Amino acid sequence: MGYLDNTTTTVDAILTKKGRELLARGGDEFKITKFALGDDEVDYSLWDVTHPNGTNSYGSAIENLPMLEAFPDENQILRYKLVTLPKGTTKMPILQVAVPSTGFTFSSSGQKASVAPNTQNGSDSQLGYSVILHNSDAADLTVSQGGEVITGGATTPVFLSDAERKKSLSVIGKTFQLVARRTTVKIVTQITIIGNETGAVTTIPITVNANA
Amino acid sequence: MAEIFTRFDSNNDVVSNLRQTVSSGMWSGGTGTLTTFHTSSVQSGSTGRYFYEVYKDDPASDTTAEVQFSVAYGHFDGSGSYGQTNNFPSKAIYRQFRNILLTPGDNRFTFAGTGDNTNPKDAYFISMQRARLREKMDPGNWELRISGSGKTTVKLIDDSGATTNPSVNVGGRVFNVVSGSIATGTAVTKTTAAAQQGGAYGLFYPDLGIIVLNGPTTSVSASINRASGSAGTTDPSNALDLVEGIKRGAYFVSRREENLNTTHYFCRATNQKFNYTNNPTFFTASDGTLTVSSFDSDPHTYITTVGLYNDNNELLAVAKLSTPIQKSFSREAIVKVKLDY
Repeated sequence: MGYLDNTTTTVDAILTKKGRELLARGGDEFKITKFALGDDEVDYSLWDVTHPNGTNSYGSAIENLPMLEAFPDENQILRYKLVTLPKGTTKMPILQVAVPSTGFTFSSSGQKASVAPNTQNGSDSQLGYSVILHNSDAADLTVSQGGEVITGGATTPVFLSDAERKKSLSVIGKTFQLVARRTTVKIVTQITIIGNETGAVTTIPITVNANA
Repeated sequence: MAEIFTRFDSNNDVVSNLRQTVSSGMWSGGTGTLTTFHTSSVQSGSTGRYFYEVYKDDPASDTTAEVQFSVAYGHFDGSGSYGQTNNFPSKAIYRQFRNILLTPGDNRFTFAGTGDNTNPKDAYFISMQRARLREKMDPGNWELRISGSGKTTVKLIDDSGATTNPSVNVGGRVFNVVSGSIATGTAVTKTTAAAQQGGAYGLFYPDLGIIVLNGPTTSVSASINRASGSAGTTDPSNALDLVEGIKRGAYFVSRREENLNTTHYFCRATNQKFNYTNNPTFFTASDGTLTVSSFDSDPHTYITTVGLYNDNNELLAVAKLSTPIQKSFSREAIVKVKLDY
Protein backbone atom coordinates (compact mmCIF):
# COMPACT_ATOMS: atom_id res chain seq x y z
CA MET A 1 0.00 0.00 0.00
CA GLY A 2 1.41 3.39 -0.95
CA TYR A 3 1.18 6.66 0.87
CA LEU A 4 -1.22 9.34 -0.31
CA ASP A 5 0.39 12.56 -1.33
CA ASN A 6 -1.29 15.28 0.67
CA THR A 7 1.39 17.89 0.29
CA THR A 8 0.83 21.36 -1.00
CA THR A 9 2.76 22.37 -4.07
CA THR A 10 5.54 24.65 -2.87
CA VAL A 11 7.37 26.97 -5.22
CA ASP A 12 10.08 29.57 -4.72
CA ALA A 13 9.31 33.07 -5.93
CA ILE A 14 11.76 35.58 -7.30
CA LEU A 15 11.39 39.32 -7.14
CA THR A 16 10.69 41.05 -10.40
CA LYS A 17 12.61 44.17 -11.40
CA LYS A 18 9.67 46.22 -10.20
CA GLY A 19 9.64 44.26 -6.93
CA ARG A 20 13.32 44.92 -6.34
CA GLU A 21 12.83 48.59 -7.15
CA LEU A 22 9.98 48.99 -4.68
CA LEU A 23 11.72 46.91 -2.00
CA ALA A 24 14.81 49.11 -2.30
CA ARG A 25 12.69 52.24 -2.15
CA GLY A 26 11.21 51.14 1.19
CA GLY A 27 7.88 52.35 2.50
CA ASP A 28 4.59 50.59 1.94
CA GLU A 29 4.81 50.18 -1.80
CA PHE A 30 6.27 46.70 -1.52
CA LYS A 31 3.14 45.23 -0.02
CA ILE A 32 1.86 42.04 -1.59
CA THR A 33 -1.90 41.98 -1.29
CA LYS A 34 -3.16 39.70 -4.05
CA PHE A 35 -2.21 37.06 -6.52
CA ALA A 36 -3.00 36.03 -10.06
CA LEU A 37 -2.39 32.75 -11.86
CA GLY A 38 -1.03 32.47 -15.36
CA ASP A 39 -0.60 29.90 -18.11
CA ASP A 40 1.65 31.74 -20.56
CA GLU A 41 3.28 28.72 -22.20
CA VAL A 42 0.22 26.49 -22.46
CA ASP A 43 -1.30 25.83 -25.88
CA TYR A 44 -4.83 24.55 -25.34
CA SER A 45 -4.98 23.17 -28.86
CA LEU A 46 -2.88 20.32 -27.40
CA TRP A 47 -5.97 19.23 -25.41
CA ASP A 48 -6.64 15.95 -27.19
CA VAL A 49 -10.16 14.57 -26.80
CA THR A 50 -9.24 11.64 -29.06
CA HIS A 51 -6.44 10.40 -26.83
CA PRO A 52 -6.55 6.56 -26.81
CA ASN A 53 -6.09 6.41 -23.02
CA GLY A 54 -9.30 8.32 -22.38
CA THR A 55 -10.34 11.38 -20.47
CA ASN A 56 -7.56 11.33 -17.90
CA SER A 57 -5.03 11.69 -20.70
CA TYR A 58 -6.65 14.46 -22.70
CA GLY A 59 -4.24 16.96 -21.22
CA SER A 60 -1.16 14.74 -21.05
CA ALA A 61 0.68 16.71 -23.75
CA ILE A 62 0.25 19.85 -21.68
CA GLU A 63 0.99 18.19 -18.35
CA ASN A 64 4.24 16.71 -19.65
CA LEU A 65 5.46 20.07 -20.87
CA PRO A 66 8.74 21.12 -19.21
CA MET A 67 8.39 24.51 -17.61
CA LEU A 68 10.69 27.47 -18.16
CA GLU A 69 12.11 29.23 -15.15
CA ALA A 70 10.64 32.55 -14.06
CA PHE A 71 11.73 35.75 -15.78
CA PRO A 72 12.42 38.74 -13.53
CA ASP A 73 10.99 41.12 -16.14
CA GLU A 74 7.42 41.80 -15.06
CA ASN A 75 6.52 42.84 -18.61
CA GLN A 76 7.40 39.48 -20.10
CA ILE A 77 5.56 37.15 -17.76
CA LEU A 78 1.94 36.53 -16.73
CA ARG A 79 0.73 37.85 -20.04
CA TYR A 80 -2.21 35.45 -19.94
CA LYS A 81 -4.03 35.13 -16.67
CA LEU A 82 -6.55 32.60 -15.48
CA VAL A 83 -9.91 34.19 -14.86
CA THR A 84 -12.87 33.33 -12.70
CA LEU A 85 -16.12 33.21 -14.64
CA PRO A 86 -19.50 31.61 -13.92
CA LYS A 87 -19.87 27.94 -14.76
CA GLY A 88 -21.49 27.48 -18.14
CA THR A 89 -19.66 30.36 -19.75
CA THR A 90 -19.34 29.54 -23.44
CA LYS A 91 -17.73 32.72 -24.68
CA MET A 92 -14.73 34.48 -23.20
CA PRO A 93 -14.92 38.22 -22.58
CA ILE A 94 -13.37 40.25 -25.38
CA LEU A 95 -12.83 43.98 -25.64
CA GLN A 96 -14.28 46.08 -28.39
CA VAL A 97 -13.42 49.68 -29.12
CA ALA A 98 -15.02 51.76 -31.84
CA VAL A 99 -12.00 52.60 -33.91
CA PRO A 100 -11.06 52.57 -37.61
CA SER A 101 -9.43 49.37 -38.80
CA THR A 102 -6.09 51.18 -39.13
CA GLY A 103 -6.30 52.53 -35.61
CA PHE A 104 -6.25 56.15 -34.52
CA THR A 105 -4.52 58.57 -36.87
CA PHE A 106 -3.84 62.18 -35.86
CA SER A 107 -2.68 64.84 -38.27
CA SER A 108 -2.66 67.94 -36.06
CA SER A 109 -1.53 68.81 -32.58
CA GLY A 110 -4.41 68.89 -30.09
CA GLN A 111 -6.61 66.62 -32.18
CA LYS A 112 -8.70 64.45 -29.88
CA ALA A 113 -10.11 60.95 -29.97
CA SER A 114 -12.32 59.21 -27.48
CA VAL A 115 -11.51 55.68 -26.33
CA ALA A 116 -14.52 53.90 -24.92
CA PRO A 117 -13.83 50.18 -24.38
CA ASN A 118 -16.72 47.81 -24.16
CA THR A 119 -16.52 44.28 -22.81
CA GLN A 120 -18.41 41.71 -24.83
CA ASN A 121 -19.47 38.43 -23.14
CA GLY A 122 -18.66 39.90 -19.72
CA SER A 123 -18.29 43.07 -17.74
CA ASP A 124 -15.52 45.31 -16.45
CA SER A 125 -17.99 47.85 -15.15
CA GLN A 126 -16.79 47.83 -11.55
CA LEU A 127 -13.02 47.99 -11.86
CA GLY A 128 -12.84 49.53 -15.30
CA TYR A 129 -9.90 49.26 -17.67
CA SER A 130 -6.16 49.78 -17.52
CA VAL A 131 -4.93 51.60 -20.59
CA ILE A 132 -1.24 51.78 -21.45
CA LEU A 133 -0.05 54.33 -23.97
CA HIS A 134 3.30 52.95 -25.07
CA ASN A 135 4.84 56.24 -26.15
CA SER A 136 3.59 59.35 -24.39
CA ASP A 137 5.55 61.55 -26.84
CA ALA A 138 2.76 60.85 -29.30
CA ALA A 139 -0.23 61.92 -27.28
CA ASP A 140 -1.66 62.70 -23.89
CA LEU A 141 -3.91 60.10 -22.34
CA THR A 142 -6.51 61.18 -19.83
CA VAL A 143 -9.42 59.56 -18.07
CA SER A 144 -12.76 60.91 -19.16
CA GLN A 145 -14.86 58.91 -16.77
CA GLY A 146 -14.53 56.73 -13.73
CA GLY A 147 -10.97 56.39 -12.66
CA GLU A 148 -7.74 57.70 -11.39
CA VAL A 149 -4.36 58.17 -13.01
CA ILE A 150 -1.60 55.88 -11.83
CA THR A 151 1.65 57.66 -12.50
CA GLY A 152 3.86 54.63 -12.03
CA GLY A 153 1.60 52.37 -13.97
CA ALA A 154 0.41 48.87 -13.44
CA THR A 155 2.54 46.06 -14.71
CA THR A 156 2.20 45.97 -18.45
CA PRO A 157 1.61 42.44 -19.70
CA VAL A 158 2.75 43.31 -23.22
CA PHE A 159 6.18 43.56 -24.73
CA LEU A 160 7.63 47.03 -24.30
CA SER A 161 11.17 48.02 -25.16
CA ASP A 162 13.21 49.86 -22.54
CA ALA A 163 12.76 53.06 -24.52
CA GLU A 164 9.01 52.56 -24.68
CA ARG A 165 8.78 51.72 -21.00
CA LYS A 166 10.38 55.00 -20.02
CA LYS A 167 7.80 56.86 -22.08
CA SER A 168 4.77 54.69 -21.35
CA LEU A 169 1.83 55.99 -19.42
CA SER A 170 -0.80 53.95 -17.61
CA VAL A 171 -4.22 55.10 -16.52
CA ILE A 172 -7.22 53.36 -15.02
CA GLY A 173 -10.76 54.38 -15.80
CA LYS A 174 -13.79 53.57 -17.90
CA THR A 175 -13.55 55.96 -20.84
CA PHE A 176 -10.49 57.83 -22.00
CA GLN A 177 -9.34 60.60 -24.28
CA LEU A 178 -6.29 60.76 -26.50
CA VAL A 179 -4.96 64.20 -27.44
CA ALA A 180 -2.24 64.33 -30.10
CA ARG A 181 0.93 66.14 -29.11
CA ARG A 182 3.08 68.46 -31.14
CA THR A 183 5.76 66.51 -32.98
CA THR A 184 8.20 67.19 -35.79
CA VAL A 185 8.37 63.54 -36.79
CA LYS A 186 5.77 60.89 -37.42
CA ILE A 187 5.26 58.70 -34.36
CA VAL A 188 3.76 55.24 -34.59
CA THR A 189 2.84 53.60 -31.31
CA GLN A 190 -0.10 51.78 -29.74
CA ILE A 191 -2.33 51.58 -26.72
CA THR A 192 -3.07 48.39 -24.85
CA ILE A 193 -6.36 48.11 -23.02
CA ILE A 194 -6.90 45.51 -20.29
CA GLY A 195 -10.16 44.73 -18.56
CA ASN A 196 -9.42 44.86 -14.83
CA GLU A 197 -12.01 42.20 -14.01
CA THR A 198 -12.01 39.95 -17.02
CA GLY A 199 -8.36 40.33 -18.02
CA ALA A 200 -9.43 40.71 -21.65
CA VAL A 201 -6.84 42.54 -23.73
CA THR A 202 -6.86 44.47 -26.97
CA THR A 203 -4.26 46.61 -28.70
CA ILE A 204 -4.92 49.58 -30.98
CA PRO A 205 -2.37 51.23 -33.30
CA ILE A 206 -1.86 55.00 -33.06
CA THR A 207 -0.21 57.20 -35.65
CA VAL A 208 0.58 60.84 -35.04
CA ASN A 209 1.83 62.53 -38.18
CA ALA A 210 4.37 65.34 -38.07
CA ASN A 211 2.43 68.48 -37.21
CA ALA A 212 5.00 71.14 -36.38
CA MET B 1 -18.39 39.04 -11.52
CA ALA B 2 -15.29 38.12 -13.45
CA GLU B 3 -12.03 38.18 -11.51
CA ILE B 4 -8.36 37.79 -12.34
CA PHE B 5 -6.88 38.85 -8.99
CA THR B 6 -7.61 37.20 -5.64
CA ARG B 7 -6.82 39.07 -2.46
CA PHE B 8 -4.91 37.32 0.28
CA ASP B 9 -6.56 36.88 3.64
CA SER B 10 -3.67 38.12 5.76
CA ASN B 11 -4.71 35.95 8.70
CA ASN B 12 -5.00 32.68 6.83
CA ASP B 13 -3.00 32.99 3.63
CA VAL B 14 0.19 34.78 4.63
CA VAL B 15 2.85 33.58 7.04
CA SER B 16 5.33 36.41 7.15
CA ASN B 17 8.88 37.03 8.29
CA LEU B 18 9.90 33.53 9.20
CA ARG B 19 13.60 33.64 10.03
CA GLN B 20 15.53 30.66 8.73
CA THR B 21 19.18 29.79 9.06
CA VAL B 22 20.46 28.21 5.88
CA SER B 23 23.88 26.63 5.51
CA SER B 24 25.58 25.54 2.31
CA GLY B 25 28.98 24.70 0.94
CA MET B 26 31.30 27.68 0.94
CA TRP B 27 33.01 27.29 -2.39
CA SER B 28 31.94 28.01 -5.97
CA GLY B 29 28.94 26.00 -7.04
CA GLY B 30 27.94 25.46 -3.42
CA THR B 31 30.47 22.68 -2.90
CA GLY B 32 31.84 22.23 0.57
CA THR B 33 35.20 20.70 -0.27
CA LEU B 34 38.06 22.38 -2.06
CA THR B 35 40.92 20.16 -3.18
CA THR B 36 42.49 22.17 -5.97
CA PHE B 37 44.06 25.57 -5.45
CA HIS B 38 45.42 28.01 -8.03
CA THR B 39 46.85 31.50 -8.02
CA SER B 40 46.81 34.09 -10.77
CA SER B 41 50.04 35.44 -12.22
CA VAL B 42 48.15 38.60 -13.14
CA GLN B 43 47.03 39.25 -9.58
CA SER B 44 50.27 38.20 -7.91
CA GLY B 45 52.21 40.37 -10.35
CA SER B 46 50.31 43.48 -9.32
CA THR B 47 49.32 43.05 -5.66
CA GLY B 48 51.17 39.88 -4.71
CA ARG B 49 53.40 41.71 -2.28
CA TYR B 50 50.31 42.20 -0.15
CA PHE B 51 48.14 39.15 -0.72
CA TYR B 52 47.44 36.18 -2.95
CA GLU B 53 44.02 35.31 -4.28
CA VAL B 54 43.32 31.60 -4.38
CA TYR B 55 41.10 30.06 -7.08
CA LYS B 56 39.42 26.71 -7.36
CA ASP B 57 40.11 26.55 -11.11
CA ASP B 58 43.17 27.81 -12.92
CA PRO B 59 42.43 31.40 -14.02
CA ALA B 60 45.06 31.08 -16.75
CA SER B 61 42.99 28.50 -18.59
CA ASP B 62 39.49 29.13 -17.22
CA THR B 63 38.20 32.66 -17.62
CA THR B 64 35.25 31.88 -15.34
CA ALA B 65 37.48 30.88 -12.42
CA GLU B 66 36.33 32.53 -9.22
CA VAL B 67 38.34 33.65 -6.21
CA GLN B 68 37.65 31.47 -3.19
CA PHE B 69 39.77 33.15 -0.54
CA SER B 70 42.88 35.25 -0.18
CA VAL B 71 46.03 34.74 1.88
CA ALA B 72 48.15 37.56 3.30
CA TYR B 73 51.15 37.70 5.59
CA GLY B 74 51.56 40.42 8.18
CA HIS B 75 54.34 41.41 10.50
CA PHE B 76 54.13 44.04 13.21
CA ASP B 77 57.44 45.63 12.21
CA GLY B 78 57.33 44.91 8.49
CA SER B 79 59.69 41.97 8.47
CA GLY B 80 59.19 39.42 5.72
CA SER B 81 58.70 41.97 2.96
CA TYR B 82 60.87 44.54 1.28
CA GLY B 83 60.18 48.24 0.87
CA GLN B 84 60.90 51.68 2.25
CA THR B 85 60.88 52.26 5.97
CA ASN B 86 57.30 52.37 7.20
CA ASN B 87 56.14 51.22 3.78
CA PHE B 88 56.48 47.50 4.20
CA PRO B 89 53.54 45.52 2.82
CA SER B 90 53.67 43.05 5.72
CA LYS B 91 53.49 45.93 8.19
CA ALA B 92 50.52 47.45 6.40
CA ILE B 93 48.76 44.10 6.30
CA TYR B 94 49.33 43.41 9.99
CA ARG B 95 48.00 46.78 11.01
CA GLN B 96 45.06 46.52 8.64
CA PHE B 97 43.85 43.33 10.30
CA ARG B 98 44.76 44.61 13.74
CA ASN B 99 42.48 47.59 13.20
CA ILE B 100 39.65 45.38 12.01
CA LEU B 101 39.90 42.57 14.53
CA LEU B 102 41.43 43.92 17.75
CA THR B 103 40.13 46.45 20.20
CA PRO B 104 41.80 49.88 20.14
CA GLY B 105 45.03 49.82 22.13
CA ASP B 106 45.56 46.11 21.56
CA ASN B 107 48.63 46.18 19.37
CA ARG B 108 49.26 42.52 18.64
CA PHE B 109 47.30 39.34 18.28
CA THR B 110 47.44 37.16 21.36
CA PHE B 111 46.98 33.43 21.00
CA ALA B 112 46.20 30.84 23.65
CA GLY B 113 48.65 28.13 24.66
CA THR B 114 52.02 28.17 26.31
CA GLY B 115 55.51 29.06 25.21
CA ASP B 116 57.22 31.83 23.31
CA ASN B 117 54.71 32.42 20.57
CA THR B 118 51.47 33.33 22.30
CA ASN B 119 52.06 36.95 21.36
CA PRO B 120 54.12 36.80 18.17
CA LYS B 121 54.82 39.68 15.85
CA ASP B 122 53.60 37.99 12.69
CA ALA B 123 50.57 36.12 11.42
CA TYR B 124 48.95 34.75 8.29
CA PHE B 125 45.50 36.03 7.38
CA ILE B 126 43.04 33.95 5.36
CA SER B 127 40.00 35.95 4.21
CA MET B 128 37.03 34.32 2.55
CA GLN B 129 35.87 36.00 -0.64
CA ARG B 130 32.70 38.00 -0.10
CA ALA B 131 30.59 36.10 -2.63
CA ARG B 132 31.65 32.79 -1.10
CA LEU B 133 31.05 33.93 2.47
CA ARG B 134 27.70 35.65 1.92
CA GLU B 135 26.96 36.23 5.61
CA LYS B 136 29.31 34.20 7.81
CA MET B 137 31.30 31.01 8.10
CA ASP B 138 29.70 28.15 9.93
CA PRO B 139 31.69 27.58 13.15
CA GLY B 140 32.65 23.97 13.72
CA ASN B 141 32.26 23.11 10.07
CA TRP B 142 35.59 23.87 8.46
CA GLU B 143 38.91 22.08 8.22
CA LEU B 144 42.07 23.32 6.53
CA ARG B 145 45.08 21.12 5.88
CA ILE B 146 48.51 22.61 5.38
CA SER B 147 51.40 20.49 4.26
CA GLY B 148 54.94 21.81 4.18
CA SER B 149 58.00 20.78 2.30
CA GLY B 150 58.74 18.18 4.97
CA LYS B 151 55.45 16.45 4.14
CA THR B 152 54.15 17.25 7.58
CA THR B 153 50.41 17.85 7.34
CA VAL B 154 48.73 20.05 9.90
CA LYS B 155 44.97 19.73 10.15
CA LEU B 156 43.26 22.79 11.55
CA ILE B 157 39.71 23.31 12.81
CA ASP B 158 38.10 25.68 15.30
CA ASP B 159 37.17 24.88 18.88
CA SER B 160 33.59 26.16 18.72
CA GLY B 161 32.28 22.71 19.63
CA ALA B 162 34.00 22.93 22.97
CA THR B 163 33.00 26.52 23.62
CA THR B 164 29.50 27.51 24.58
CA ASN B 165 30.34 31.13 25.24
CA PRO B 166 32.86 32.45 22.74
CA SER B 167 34.56 35.72 23.42
CA VAL B 168 33.19 38.60 21.41
CA ASN B 169 35.25 41.63 20.51
CA VAL B 170 35.51 44.16 17.70
CA GLY B 171 35.64 41.39 15.10
CA GLY B 172 32.57 39.63 16.49
CA ARG B 173 32.73 36.10 17.83
CA VAL B 174 36.22 34.64 18.19
CA PHE B 175 37.19 30.98 18.46
CA ASN B 176 40.60 29.39 18.69
CA VAL B 177 42.10 27.53 15.78
CA VAL B 178 43.24 24.11 16.99
CA SER B 179 44.70 20.97 15.50
CA GLY B 180 42.04 18.40 14.74
CA SER B 181 39.66 17.17 12.09
CA ILE B 182 35.98 17.09 11.19
CA ALA B 183 36.44 14.34 8.62
CA THR B 184 34.45 11.86 10.73
CA GLY B 185 31.45 14.18 10.86
CA THR B 186 32.14 15.59 14.28
CA ALA B 187 34.97 17.80 15.45
CA VAL B 188 37.81 15.76 16.93
CA THR B 189 40.35 18.02 18.58
CA LYS B 190 43.88 16.66 18.71
CA THR B 191 45.36 19.35 20.92
CA THR B 192 43.38 22.07 22.61
CA ALA B 193 44.41 25.68 22.20
CA ALA B 194 45.42 25.97 25.85
CA ALA B 195 47.62 22.90 25.63
CA GLN B 196 49.33 23.85 22.39
CA GLN B 197 53.05 24.12 22.92
CA GLY B 198 54.60 27.30 21.50
CA GLY B 199 51.24 29.06 21.23
CA ALA B 200 47.92 28.13 19.67
CA TYR B 201 47.49 27.90 15.95
CA GLY B 202 45.31 30.93 15.56
CA LEU B 203 42.02 32.72 15.87
CA PHE B 204 38.83 32.30 13.87
CA TYR B 205 36.34 35.11 13.24
CA PRO B 206 33.25 33.43 11.72
CA ASP B 207 31.23 36.61 11.31
CA LEU B 208 33.97 38.16 9.18
CA GLY B 209 35.17 35.00 7.47
CA ILE B 210 38.74 35.52 8.61
CA ILE B 211 41.19 32.97 9.95
CA VAL B 212 44.30 34.37 11.64
CA LEU B 213 47.13 31.86 11.84
CA ASN B 214 49.95 32.23 14.32
CA GLY B 215 53.03 32.87 12.16
CA PRO B 216 55.72 30.96 14.07
CA THR B 217 53.53 28.07 15.22
CA THR B 218 52.02 27.45 11.80
CA SER B 219 55.26 27.70 9.84
CA VAL B 220 57.16 25.46 12.24
CA SER B 221 54.44 22.83 12.66
CA ALA B 222 53.73 22.55 8.95
CA SER B 223 57.29 23.13 7.77
CA ILE B 224 56.33 26.25 5.84
CA ASN B 225 59.16 28.54 4.83
CA ARG B 226 58.83 31.90 6.60
CA ALA B 227 61.43 34.48 5.69
CA SER B 228 62.31 37.39 7.91
CA GLY B 229 64.09 40.66 7.28
CA SER B 230 63.26 43.44 4.86
CA ALA B 231 66.39 43.94 2.82
CA GLY B 232 66.80 43.37 -0.91
CA THR B 233 64.43 43.86 -3.77
CA THR B 234 62.84 40.43 -4.05
CA ASP B 235 59.76 39.85 -1.98
CA PRO B 236 60.11 36.84 0.33
CA SER B 237 56.52 35.84 -0.50
CA ASN B 238 55.62 34.39 2.86
CA ALA B 239 51.96 34.47 1.84
CA LEU B 240 52.74 32.47 -1.29
CA ASP B 241 54.61 29.92 0.81
CA LEU B 242 51.48 29.36 2.87
CA VAL B 243 49.41 29.07 -0.33
CA GLU B 244 51.86 26.40 -1.51
CA GLY B 245 51.36 24.61 1.81
CA ILE B 246 47.60 24.76 1.34
CA LYS B 247 48.01 23.39 -2.19
CA ARG B 248 50.00 20.45 -0.85
CA GLY B 249 47.43 19.90 1.91
CA ALA B 250 44.78 19.81 -0.84
CA TYR B 251 41.86 19.92 1.57
CA PHE B 252 39.78 22.88 2.68
CA VAL B 253 36.27 22.01 3.80
CA SER B 254 33.98 24.83 4.82
CA ARG B 255 30.35 25.79 5.13
CA ARG B 256 28.71 29.19 5.15
CA GLU B 257 25.63 30.25 7.02
CA GLU B 258 23.05 32.92 6.35
CA ASN B 259 19.78 34.01 7.84
CA LEU B 260 16.86 34.44 5.49
CA ASN B 261 13.60 36.20 6.10
CA THR B 262 10.95 34.12 4.45
CA THR B 263 7.30 34.80 3.80
CA HIS B 264 4.91 32.08 2.67
CA TYR B 265 1.86 32.95 0.59
CA PHE B 266 -0.87 30.34 0.25
CA CYS B 267 -2.53 30.84 -3.12
CA ARG B 268 -5.83 28.98 -3.02
CA ALA B 269 -7.56 28.18 -6.28
CA THR B 270 -10.89 26.86 -5.06
CA ASN B 271 -13.14 24.81 -7.30
CA GLN B 272 -15.18 27.77 -8.59
CA LYS B 273 -12.17 29.92 -9.44
CA PHE B 274 -9.65 30.21 -12.28
CA ASN B 275 -11.40 27.79 -14.61
CA TYR B 276 -11.11 30.05 -17.66
CA THR B 277 -8.16 31.85 -19.16
CA ASN B 278 -7.26 34.76 -21.40
CA ASN B 279 -4.72 32.55 -23.15
CA PRO B 280 -5.33 33.21 -26.89
CA THR B 281 -5.36 29.46 -27.64
CA PHE B 282 -8.31 29.02 -25.27
CA PHE B 283 -10.82 31.04 -27.30
CA THR B 284 -11.41 32.61 -30.69
CA ALA B 285 -10.37 36.25 -30.75
CA SER B 286 -13.22 37.41 -32.96
CA ASP B 287 -16.14 36.36 -30.79
CA GLY B 288 -14.74 34.69 -27.66
CA THR B 289 -15.97 31.21 -28.53
CA LEU B 290 -14.03 28.50 -26.68
CA THR B 291 -11.71 26.61 -29.03
CA VAL B 292 -12.35 23.24 -27.38
CA SER B 293 -16.07 22.52 -27.55
CA SER B 294 -16.09 20.29 -24.47
CA PHE B 295 -14.86 23.27 -22.41
CA ASP B 296 -18.35 24.77 -22.77
CA SER B 297 -19.61 22.43 -20.07
CA ASP B 298 -16.38 21.36 -18.39
CA PRO B 299 -13.54 23.83 -18.85
CA HIS B 300 -9.99 22.92 -17.89
CA THR B 301 -7.11 25.30 -17.38
CA TYR B 302 -3.52 24.86 -16.27
CA ILE B 303 -1.60 26.81 -13.67
CA THR B 304 2.03 27.35 -14.60
CA THR B 305 2.81 30.69 -13.02
CA VAL B 306 1.88 32.53 -9.84
CA GLY B 307 2.21 36.29 -9.68
CA LEU B 308 2.18 38.32 -6.48
CA TYR B 309 0.86 41.87 -6.82
CA ASN B 310 0.38 45.04 -4.81
CA ASP B 311 -2.72 47.20 -4.80
CA ASN B 312 -1.48 49.12 -7.86
CA ASN B 313 -1.56 45.88 -9.86
CA GLU B 314 2.23 45.92 -10.04
CA LEU B 315 3.80 42.47 -10.32
CA LEU B 316 6.31 42.28 -7.47
CA ALA B 317 7.26 38.61 -7.42
CA VAL B 318 6.69 35.62 -9.61
CA ALA B 319 6.97 31.87 -9.15
CA LYS B 320 6.93 29.10 -11.71
CA LEU B 321 5.65 25.59 -11.14
CA SER B 322 7.77 22.66 -12.23
CA THR B 323 4.79 21.04 -13.94
CA PRO B 324 1.44 22.50 -14.95
CA ILE B 325 -1.37 21.93 -12.44
CA GLN B 326 -4.73 21.17 -13.98
CA LYS B 327 -7.64 23.22 -12.72
CA SER B 328 -11.35 22.68 -13.32
CA PHE B 329 -14.67 22.99 -11.50
CA SER B 330 -13.99 19.59 -9.95
CA ARG B 331 -10.42 20.35 -8.87
CA GLU B 332 -8.86 22.65 -6.31
CA ALA B 333 -5.23 23.61 -5.92
CA ILE B 334 -3.16 25.25 -3.22
CA VAL B 335 0.19 26.64 -4.22
CA LYS B 336 2.47 27.73 -1.39
CA VAL B 337 4.77 30.45 -2.66
CA LYS B 338 7.95 30.99 -0.68
CA LEU B 339 9.58 34.38 -0.96
CA ASP B 340 13.02 34.96 0.57
CA TYR B 341 14.45 38.39 1.20
